[in-house]
Amino acid sequence: MSSHIVIEGLGKAFAPRGGRRPAVIFDGLDMRIEAGQLVALVGPSGCGKSTLLNLIAGLDAPDAGAIRFDGRARDSRLAMVFQQPRLVDWLTAEENIALAFEREGTRPPGDARETVRALLRKVGLTEHSGAYPQFLSGGQRQRVAIARAFAVDPDILLLDEPFSALDELTARRLRLLLQSLWGEADGPRPTGVLVTHNMLEAALLADRIFVLNGHPGHFAAVMDIDIPHPRDPEDPALFAIHREVLHALGEA
Amino acid sequence: MSVVEKADTARAQVRARRPAVRWGPALRAAAGEAVPFVASFVLLAASWEAMALWLRSPLVPDLSAILREFVTICESGKAFREIWVTFYRMGLGFLLAVALSFPIGIASAVSRKAERFFEPGVILGLTVPGLVWALLCVIWFGVSIASPVIAVALGVLPSMIITVQQSVRSLSSDIVEMTRVFRLKRITVLRRIWIPLLYASTISGARVGFSIAWKVIVLVEIFGMSNGVGYQLNSQFSLQSVEGVIAWTLAFWLAMMAVEYLVFRPIETSANHWKKSAYE
Repeated sequence: MSSHIVIEGLGKAFAPRGGRRPAVIFDGLDMRIEAGQLVALVGPSGCGKSTLLNLIAGLDAPDAGAIRFDGRARDSRLAMVFQQPRLVDWLTAEENIALAFEREGTRPPGDARETVRALLRKVGLTEHSGAYPQFLSGGQRQRVAIARAFAVDPDILLLDEPFSALDELTARRLRLLLQSLWGEADGPRPTGVLVTHNMLEAALLADRIFVLNGHPGHFAAVMDIDIPHPRDPEDPALFAIHREVLHALGEA
Repeated sequence: MSVVEKADTARAQVRARRPAVRWGPALRAAAGEAVPFVASFVLLAASWEAMALWLRSPLVPDLSAILREFVTICESGKAFREIWVTFYRMGLGFLLAVALSFPIGIASAVSRKAERFFEPGVILGLTVPGLVWALLCVIWFGVSIASPVIAVALGVLPSMIITVQQSVRSLSSDIVEMTRVFRLKRITVLRRIWIPLLYASTISGARVGFSIAWKVIVLVEIFGMSNGVGYQLNSQFSLQSVEGVIAWTLAFWLAMMAVEYLVFRPIETSANHWKKSAYE
């Protein structure tokens, strides 16, 4: 397996207004993410998890160091699921998903409609294909957002606390949905980065957990999770990993 | 099936799943809404009639005199001709304002520099009474069509600029970020996001703009035109015909109601069909 995303000597600081000392988020962070793996970034809030994800997404630029994708400066097909669904309110569920096909430098696939239909079926929204986001529940909207991310057949899938704005029961269903979509991807699985503060969620979904902590942020631990997919959310082994992560953070 | 046919059937299916209009309850709701409307109208008319009977003054004509005058101007077709002339001038000025408000409003929304540049002008425009635009345009452009069109455009422009600017700002940065992460084509972002957004939010601004347009056009027609509703109001005034002034006001009020209910409301409803609040 080759490293898909390589981060070397990453530096990032935010200068607060008023000339106070800049807050150093990262100072020489290194990270390698293997192709086809889903890695989780966990850690306390404010440790730079989301900043790191935004840097990978290209929404922000590093002050030092580099992020490379298969040795290239830019990824080919990157998709993201945000904490909020971020759907366009005046487009239907179907149209929101199809929007992802309109990527710079690409043409929508010839069977775009069929692809959207298949995705809607997979996320359980066949009945709601023509519904506008404001008429969907929070969980349904996030299902559309997940379908939109998978629509581009992503090489890299970034997940920024995708279930934390949902009630626990809905979040649980969507975690299992994500697990099954990941498992049944045709062709090579995407490389995934999941930011979460829910360590059980990380243990359920990730192949490897990076525990981020401190200022500037560094990896307090990197754990490989060797339990085969799909995993059972009630598996006691997941709770053991949960304890281990807490331990790495100095909490247990 | 060809690609076009496929797209058509798919579109038809999408449309089919949109909530259908049910006429029965809609009509009942409309009737329910009409009751207070009719009540206010009847009360107003009754109070006027009582006042007219009590005062017995030519300055307060009774309802039958007003209605007689109203029927006369309608039957002769004069009311329709004059209202059409006024609407035509208003419409041209209004379209000019809309066309100018888009570039200025968008620039002010995306650039702080542009906002600072246009802000004093917009505030000036909001402050200057329509009367001043009417007087200046009549002095500058005389009786030509340019007077009403430019006066209306100047009167409506500031509020339209603010509407466009606010609607551009209303798009959350979350959505903008999403389009960047998915690297959507510029043309797609324009066509699927910006244009529908601007369309939906400027319709409401346009209604306010249209009522401002009326307040300006009537003044221009009083000072500088030889026809139009404003001119007619002025000539009834110089004849000291109170029933004439009221009859013309009534006729124009009905025309504005027709524009509101037959043009603006349906467009607004269709532009906002994706909003949950539109069905509550």
